[in-house]
Amino acid sequence: MPTATSSKTLPPSSHAFADIIHRLEAGGSMLPDTPDNLKQIIGIYKAYAVPMDFYWRGLLYISERVFLNPLPAFKYFISDEYLDRPNAYAGDNADLRIWRGQADAHPELREFMAKGELKRKLPKWMHHLWHDRINMEFAEACMQAMFWHDDINPKFNAYLDSDAYKANADGAIRAYFKGNPAMLGLYKLFPDLFLEQVKRLSYYANLGLFWEVMAPVFFEMSDLYDEGKLTTVPEAMDFLVNGIFAIAGRPIYHHLYVGDECYEIIPKSEGFTWLYEAALPYVEAVFYRTSPFRGTKSYNAQAGQVPSEPKDFHYGILYADLFPVGSAGIPPTLLMQDMLHFLPDYLVEEYQQHTRGADDTLIQLGVTFQRSMYNVTSAVIQALRTALLYPLDDPNPQHLKANRDFFEQQLDRFQRPEARLKDIQQQTYR
Amino acid sequence: MANIVEIATNTEGFSTLVAAVQAAGLVEALATGGPFTVFAPHDDAFAALPPGTVQTLVDNPPQLARILKYHVVADKLFQADWSISQTLTSLEGSPIPIRAALEVKNASVIAADIEADNGVIHVIDRVLLMG
Amino acid sequence: MLSPLIWLPITGALLIAFLPTQMTAKQARSGALAIAGTVLLWTVWLFTQFDLGNATFQMQEFLPWLPMLGLNYDLALDGLSLMMVALNSLLTWVAIYSSPDKTERPRFFYSLMLMVSGAVAGAFLAQNLLLFFLLFELELIPLYFLISVWGGPKRDYAATKFLLYTASAGVLILIGFLGIAWFGHSFDFSYESVLQVQLPLQAQLILLTILIVGFGIKVPLVPFHTWQPDTYVAASPPVAIMLGGVLAKLGTYGIFRFGMGLFPEAWSIVAPGLATWATVSVLYGSITAIAQKDIKRMVAYSSIGHMGYVLLGASAFTKLSLVGSISQMVSHGLILALLFHLVGIVEDKVGTRQLDVLNGLMNPLRGLPMVSALLILSGMASAGIPGLVGFITEFLVFQGSYSVFPVLTLCCVVGTGLTAVYFVILINRTCFGRLDSQTAYYGKVSADERVPAFVLAALVVVLGLQPSWLVHWSEATSASMVAAIPAAETVQIAEAIPESKL
Repeated sequence: MPTATSSKTLPPSSHAFADIIHRLEAGGSMLPDTPDNLKQIIGIYKAYAVPMDFYWRGLLYISERVFLNPLPAFKYFISDEYLDRPNAYAGDNADLRIWRGQADAHPELREFMAKGELKRKLPKWMHHLWHDRINMEFAEACMQAMFWHDDINPKFNAYLDSDAYKANADGAIRAYFKGNPAMLGLYKLFPDLFLEQVKRLSYYANLGLFWEVMAPVFFEMSDLYDEGKLTTVPEAMDFLVNGIFAIAGRPIYHHLYVGDECYEIIPKSEGFTWLYEAALPYVEAVFYRTSPFRGTKSYNAQAGQVPSEPKDFHYGILYADLFPVGSAGIPPTLLMQDMLHFLPDYLVEEYQQHTRGADDTLIQLGVTFQRSMYNVTSAVIQALRTALLYPLDDPNPQHLKANRDFFEQQLDRFQRPEARLKDIQQQTYR
Repeated sequence: MANIVEIATNTEGFSTLVAAVQAAGLVEALATGGPFTVFAPHDDAFAALPPGTVQTLVDNPPQLARILKYHVVADKLFQADWSISQTLTSLEGSPIPIRAALEVKNASVIAADIEADNGVIHVIDRVLLMG
Repeated sequence: MLSPLIWLPITGALLIAFLPTQMTAKQARSGALAIAGTVLLWTVWLFTQFDLGNATFQMQEFLPWLPMLGLNYDLALDGLSLMMVALNSLLTWVAIYSSPDKTERPRFFYSLMLMVSGAVAGAFLAQNLLLFFLLFELELIPLYFLISVWGGPKRDYAATKFLLYTASAGVLILIGFLGIAWFGHSFDFSYESVLQVQLPLQAQLILLTILIVGFGIKVPLVPFHTWQPDTYVAASPPVAIMLGGVLAKLGTYGIFRFGMGLFPEAWSIVAPGLATWATVSVLYGSITAIAQKDIKRMVAYSSIGHMGYVLLGASAFTKLSLVGSISQMVSHGLILALLFHLVGIVEDKVGTRQLDVLNGLMNPLRGLPMVSALLILSGMASAGIPGLVGFITEFLVFQGSYSVFPVLTLCCVVGTGLTAVYFVILINRTCFGRLDSQTAYYGKVSADERVPAFVLAALVVVLGLQPSWLVHWSEATSASMVAAIPAAETVQIAEAIPESKL
């Protein structure tokens, strides 16, 4: 990424986060470029990638196989076929071979699935009930957020409401419940109920296809760091920016498999792309908005503690207060628990040295995750700037002004008191 | 005169665009339909995209077609026909804002008003992306 | 047999203070802890030697000292003294254990703590009025230093206030004691002989009033309480444990021993007034505690309320209420020590005691979850939740007093309700809610800091489930004290028995 000259041609920004804006204009990230930040975010990308390798497989398994199973007690017990399913963007037969890494499930993931935290081989259902497993609930919460915030994915949602989609879903539902008069009868009685569930499953597929790409990207970053080829935070960000572009055109689709038969509920030919129909809605829904989580903090909507407009929601990781408050309904807590199992040694060591060491590793890694997601968000902002606006070294001051306006507009969202942008500027925030 | 596809094919510097149009299966439509205004990114514009971008698109024709349609307006518009802060509606459905003279969205027009049988071509220096 | 309780700590204090070797803070603490531990073990051994059936004084020790003044070294033990001595030994050990390693001028600190402990033990054991007075005064000076040197903000003010109040209390007590001699025309100050002195009722009333006011300052009773919150708040947690857990008991002990014990006839006349006074104290302490924003101050005011129950039970002087009162002194000592210790940890880790600032300490990862849990336990114990020692003793007091002072007892029951109110406020603000992630980088609570809390909490629970281990030591003594009080009152109690059994 070329370094910018904007600061020479434009007067300094008067934004509350002027420093950060100048850093973005210089091709940097919202996260300060320190060796500690780099170590933290790369380490957590790796710890995130392993459960993510499960999430995307699980999401696709549910959307393509479990589908409308009325009693989906085993929906998290994904089949071997899905564990072995080659990642479309990793492995030797990948569609696009820019990230190394293997196509099937990561070995650390397989080991954890077999033995869990207990380090003991027990029947799957025991690990499941003991919650000694990957918390798919987190993935579902993210999916739910994307599904629920229905204003951020207009083209995709318009298709979900179209007659073509209805016809496809109808075919799929009939095929899935073939020979099941009870469910078919119910379908006849409440067709919209079934349709709504299929729409939800389409979002499972959407998110699954999104994460299928992110997992090898994060693994690759971790490998590059280990090899000493990723040395600064902006480099890490640029790697993500390039990744976003490289994969932007990946189709987003929803298929259902009944036996070997494939039913296209959202065919690839609809032209939905990874960047527009998955990545950008995901960032908006999950990083920024989500929804108030159940937990020991209670929100009083009457007192205005919950915004009246969903677009003003601010419960995503960029705003999150990372103290886990202990109830199972809190998705970030689940993710932290998942990442805890796959921390690289250097992060385990780092956490030992700060605050309460092993006792509050969950919080420390949560804060690290927050830092890393500010970096991912920076990558998205820079990617959007590249796609929609101008290079950072553009000679035209008008263009630089447009870039700055864009950056300022993006950072305005972090002026809320809940936002952690200010905190992550300090290494003492842990 | 020739149609849009012929002009593009016969002009230096549009090999990527032509290949993309072929991959997306839009040759027929662009050659016979119309009238169109096509914002044709130069080869350098495609080359400026991060590695892999074009390949992923070429591998997935429907997605590629969508991006290409964003470069087409279903009308024959010469540069004199649009003005600053006007918004054109692309074939893809998304708007194309005009922010400055000799610019289309964030791209600069390198060569304007190349007339064809079924429309007009404006050569631009950057691939346009929706959003 | 009893002397070691006095001389072990005092010798230890002198050794720690003057041993001509280098001593680190840790060593000084270990030394003090060893001495306090020995005293505690000695106390436990005393329990095994104590004759439960014997209502009179046991294990008498006598050494003539200044016979012409009537001052002799005369120690003995009954059920009341035993409980007080045990409380003193235990809380001394707890207070020393809970003193931080980093205490400044450690040798001086620990020797003063031991000094206080020895003097207080002596006061509880003294069978001679003047000896009691001497030891009562002796404890004052070390405490003054403990507050003014190691205290928090406003410690000088608090220490001076403490000194002035306690000294005035001392003067009143001395006047009372001298009055006994003067009215009784005998200058033998031994408890045995003073008991034999027959005084006119009027003189009894005057002396009793003087003594009650004198000891009432120490308890403290409203309106002589104003030194107490300031002092407790300014004192460091170990010192506050000694002050609230042990020293306050000197006041109630004095009222029992030298008020009720010496002037039974006058006592039965004064009792209704005293009960009213106690009730006012209870309600005042509880209501004021609700208004506090500083948790230590809140605990201090709660102490005023709880000491009121002791006096209520004493005023009712039924056997049950008296046993309840004596046990209440112990249970209050345990609970208050636990509270002060926990509040001390909170202040040390979080850096504030303000209810408005504290929040969410229950957080399992960055809060103080164990401290919060124990805080809740002690709050429950203090508010008299069944199953904990606070319930047992308060219930005994109320059960014993209701037949005599039904209205006042009910008012005091309302007081326990108010206790629940302020402890819910305290616990809700402190432990629950959301921990502020911006500021919550609190230090870990070490195992060492938890030990005293665990010991006290265990006692609070065990004695709550098995109250006879607490209660039966003082039954004989209580019975004999009640028996000394004129019969008119006992008839009244007898009439009320069916009612109290309902």
